[in-house]
This record gives sequence, structure tokens and C-alpha cells, in this order.
Amino acid sequence: MGVHPRAQDYPESFLPGVIPDESELTVGTKIEPGKRYGFFTDTTLCIGCKACEVACKEWNSLPADNMGLSGMSYDNTVKLSADTWRHVMFVEKVDGATGMQPFQSNWLMMSDVCKHCKNAPCLEACPTGALFRTEFDTVVVQQDICNGCGYCVPSCPFGVVELSMADGKAHKCTLCYDRLKGGLEPACAKSCPTDSILFGEVDDLVERAGKRVEELHERGVTDAYLYGAPNTPGATGGLEQLNAFFLLTDRPEVYNLPPAPTRPANRLAPGLLAGMAAMAGLTLAAAAIFSAPGEKRR
Amino acid sequence: MKMSAPYEGQTYYGQPVVKTPPYDWRIAAYIYCAGLGGSAQILSTLARLSGREMGDVVRNGRYLAVAGTILGTPLLVSDLKTPSRFYNMLRIFRPTSAMSIGSYILTGFGGLSTLTAMGQAAGGTAEKAATAVQLPAALAGAGMSMYTASLLSGTNGPLWAATPRALAVQFGAAAMANAAAALSLAEQKAGRSHVSARLDAVATLALATELAASVVAKEERQARGVAGPLEEGKWAKAYKYGALALGVAVPLACHAANLAAPPGRKKSRSLSILGSLAVLAGGMVLRQAVLQAGNESLKRPADYLRFTQPKAGHWDERKVGSLEGRAAPPRKAAISASEMKPRDYTTGPRRAKDAAP
Repeated sequence: MGVHPRAQDYPESFLPGVIPDESELTVGTKIEPGKRYGFFTDTTLCIGCKACEVACKEWNSLPADNMGLSGMSYDNTVKLSADTWRHVMFVEKVDGATGMQPFQSNWLMMSDVCKHCKNAPCLEACPTGALFRTEFDTVVVQQDICNGCGYCVPSCPFGVVELSMADGKAHKCTLCYDRLKGGLEPACAKSCPTDSILFGEVDDLVERAGKRVEELHERGVTDAYLYGAPNTPGATGGLEQLNAFFLLTDRPEVYNLPPAPTRPANRLAPGLLAGMAAMAGLTLAAAAIFSAPGEKRR
Repeated sequence: MKMSAPYEGQTYYGQPVVKTPPYDWRIAAYIYCAGLGGSAQILSTLARLSGREMGDVVRNGRYLAVAGTILGTPLLVSDLKTPSRFYNMLRIFRPTSAMSIGSYILTGFGGLSTLTAMGQAAGGTAEKAATAVQLPAALAGAGMSMYTASLLSGTNGPLWAATPRALAVQFGAAAMANAAAALSLAEQKAGRSHVSARLDAVATLALATELAASVVAKEERQARGVAGPLEEGKWAKAYKYGALALGVAVPLACHAANLAAPPGRKKSRSLSILGSLAVLAGGMVLRQAVLQAGNESLKRPADYLRFTQPKAGHWDERKVGSLEGRAAPPRKAAISASEMKPRDYTTGPRRAKDAAP
């Protein structure tokens, strides 16, 4: 992708303000309401620099959480949380060291993020409407409505959204809702030095990701596959598609991802119908017991 | 332990895949209150319609229904992390959320039950009006008795989600048994053991249903390999001895002994009372154990990964290829999960801890 012709309009290092539709210059996509945007995270390109984590924390003014060493390889971030919306995972494949892959020295790295599911279980669970779908087809929490019921937390199949005990509200990645409104690509994608994180229109990204998988297969990385694109692992059980999807080279479990996650809302009707049937049966039985002729009163 | 576990491989340093909700004993206590109140309204309505001399059951049931709401609602609100915004629950209706459905069931049930109880207290014509309001209240009561099971199974907690149907039947039947037991105790206190006998029969039937549902639920959990927290550990003990032995087996034995007594003989009052008390205690343990074991199951990555193993046809195999063919993940992490808890360097006496012996 060459330099966008509009980039020549801005030769200075220090600009007086935000460039209109800056995303056109940085990713070749103009951000418009009504289109679907997401991330394609290609783990074969990730070098584990954590620039995405830092950019996310800085842009969203998120506090630091764990200031210690975890013992989990270079992953001291440990997990996504209310205060961490990008998380770079490090998997050391010690056992397979004899047969190295032609990249990453058998060291898998993946920048995890909210998947912005097509049928988002967190949004479907939210009883207050604090979680909503934006005009960019992303899923965002409105902290001014959230009452901290926490029902979105166990509903997320990927363990993304979490309550912050600092303010008693749910927090998660917004796919930089504010930046998208201002025509800027999300902070993590913009900061990624290897373009492991790509931002763009979802359909466009799925097409490019498919080509990348083919290319990797040709180059000998036959394990490469997509997670979260339509009809792939991750896009299962009624979730249909993840707007933020991944290219992986090992089983999903290795990256702490469920191979076939499900949509909890699909379990409501069976449970409620079975429960109501049981209550109806017991009510009829109780009515029979109450009206049966009994012993004489003593 | 019988477990058909297709996935025994690697997890990410033992880190949970899904997150645990901030639900503690208060939610379990609410589930108990909601069930007891909801089913009490059903039994009260039936007693009113039966035309028998069960006036006290009608009255007590109506008051129990309100008591369940009055005790349960503050428990729910206090578990919110921003309780001052509890009314936002009624801001929208979301049919995909058991929490949203439940908010409206609770609101409807609370309102109708209050009207019914007010009519009861006023007496006369108001009591007749209360009877009309009580029918929809009883319908909402059926919802209150069992929707809380869907509240749990409508998440990604493996222990709950593995068995949505059986859990709903189990909770509903337990609620009916609790209400019958509470009303039976009141009748024994008032010296009307013949009414107690009918209520004990209802409790017996409900307990048998609960027992059957618990067997099905156990099998379903084991088939998915997520039964762990209810088979080992403290909540497994609470579930086995508290919910099943004390809450189901003991009262079944007590009531069965009374029911089997020959028609001429007087039924044992103490057996009825003992049975009812056991039902009420066991019902509370059941809700606590299922809630806490479910929380524990969310913290176990292997359980969730087993729960989310694909069935055939889950995705396009031609495009993705079979996951089975990929390099097998190492069986064990180099360090055990318990050793990998992130250490908190921000608090505590650092020097004393770090000092070498």
C-alpha cells in the first residue's frame, strides 16, 4: 500500500490540528457511520512489543493495574480487564522446539482485544441498555447508564468485559468510538509497528485475511487459519461473526480462546419453557391434592 | 469421578478464559426468597379456589408472597455495584436477557402481590378484588419460582450453562417445596394437621420432581465434563449433604412415613415439622451451593474449554482444516497454576517479605 496522495498535503512534522479523515491516510479507509468496522489481528506478525497496550492505555486514560511480575513469560499484563483493553499474550512452545516454524521462533504472541461480536452476548445480557451497538457496528458500554449489575461479565464468551471496583461500572474496549467519530483509526492499530493489528471495514478485512492465510499456506505455514471470521472457530453457537478476528497457528485453547463459544441467549427459551412446564405440572398436582376428599377433621 | 473429557490439554498459564460475576450469597438468598414467595402465591391461589376450609393458607400465602418481595428486592439492589441506579433495570426490555425478563417478573409480582395482600388485610369486598388480582400474581409467581435458574444458565458459566432445562425444573420444584413447607409449618402451629397433611403431600411431590431434575442435571454436567465444583470441594459437600440429603432425602422420608400411615392412625406432628424445616434449610443450601459452584466453575479454564469443544459441522472444515491435526499442545505448563498468581508489589511490607533467610 503506497503513500496516499493526500499525505503530501501535510509535509510538516507538527500539525496545527487533526487531519480531516486521517484514517484515509493511515489505513486507506474513510470512516463513515453505517459501515461495519473491526480489527484483523494477524498473530504471525506480532512481535510482542505491547505498543498497542500502551497506546490504548494512553488514549483512553486507563489506570495501570498489576505492577508486578506474573511469571507468565513476558506477559505481565495477565488478562483483559476493566482497565486493560488490549492484552499481548506470550505462549512459549517449549515442547515443539525441535521442529521450528519459519517465524516467531516457536514463540506465539497475540494481542487480544474485545471481539465486538455480531450477536454480542454482553449486549444481549445488559438489562439497562448501557451496552449498545454503535453506528460503526461496534459494541460500547455507556458508563452513565450502567448500574453495575455485572450480568455482562459472565455472559461474555471470551472474558472481556469487567466491572471496575473504582466506579462500579462495566468497562471494555470501545474500538476507540471517539476516534472513529473523529475520523481516526483506533489507537492500538495505529501504533502497531508490524501491522499485526489491522483496522478497517470488516468485509474488507475478512477478504484480506483470507488471502493472508493462503499466502502463509503457500509459504509452508500450513497451520494458519482464521478465528472469528464467518464459518470459522470462534464464530460459532449463534455468535455468527466476530468483528475483531484473528489469524492463529495453533489450537484456539493455546491462546486462551474457546474453540466453539456459544451465545447464552439461546439457552433462555429451553430453560424458561422447561421451568414453566414443571411449575404447571406441580400446580395441577397441588390443585388435585387440595380438592381431593380427605379424612374427617379431628 | 466419571467424566467424558475430550479436552485435557493446555490452558493459558491456568488463567480463566471467562470472567466471574460479582455475585455472592445475596443473589442466592434472593433466588430463595423469590422462589418461596412466588410458589406461596400459587398455593394460596389454589387454596382460595379449592373452596375448602383453608383460609389460613390463603392468608399466609399472600403475606409470604409480599415478604419474599420485600426481603428479596433489597438483596438484589444491594448487590449492584451502583445501587442508586437500580431503576435503570426498567429503562428498556431486553428479551435476550434473563436479568431484564426477571426485573419485569419481579416488578409485576411485587405489585400484584402487594395489592393481593392489601385486599387480604382489608377484608370484605376488598378480599374479593384481591382474589381477582391473585390469578395474574400466581402466574408471575410461577415465573419467580424458576426464572432464576435461567438467570444462571443464560450465561457462559459452564456448570450452569450445561443444563438449562434441568436446573429450571430443579429450582422451580425446590421453590414449590419451600412454599409448601413454610405454609405447612404455619398450619401445624395453628393445630390444623389435616391441612398440613395436604401441604406435605404437595411438598413430597415437589421434592420428588427436584430429585429427578438433580439426577438429570448431574448427568448432563458430567457428559460435558463440567461437574467438578459440585463433585469436589466445599460446595460439593454443601450440595450433597445440605441440598440433597438434608433438603430432599430427610423430608421425603419424614413425609413418606406420614403418608404411608394407615388411614385410621393419627399422623406424626413432629415428623411433619421436621420434614418442613429440613426442606426450608435445604432449599437455601441448594441455591448457595449452585451459585458458588458455578462461580468456581467460571474460574476453571479447562472446564470452560471442555464446554466449548466443537460439535461436528460447527464450522467449515474444508476452509479451516481439522483442529485435531494441529500440533498437540504440551500437556503441562512448566509451573503449576497456583504458583503463577501475579504478586502484588503495590501493598504490604516489601522488605520483610523479600529478605532472604
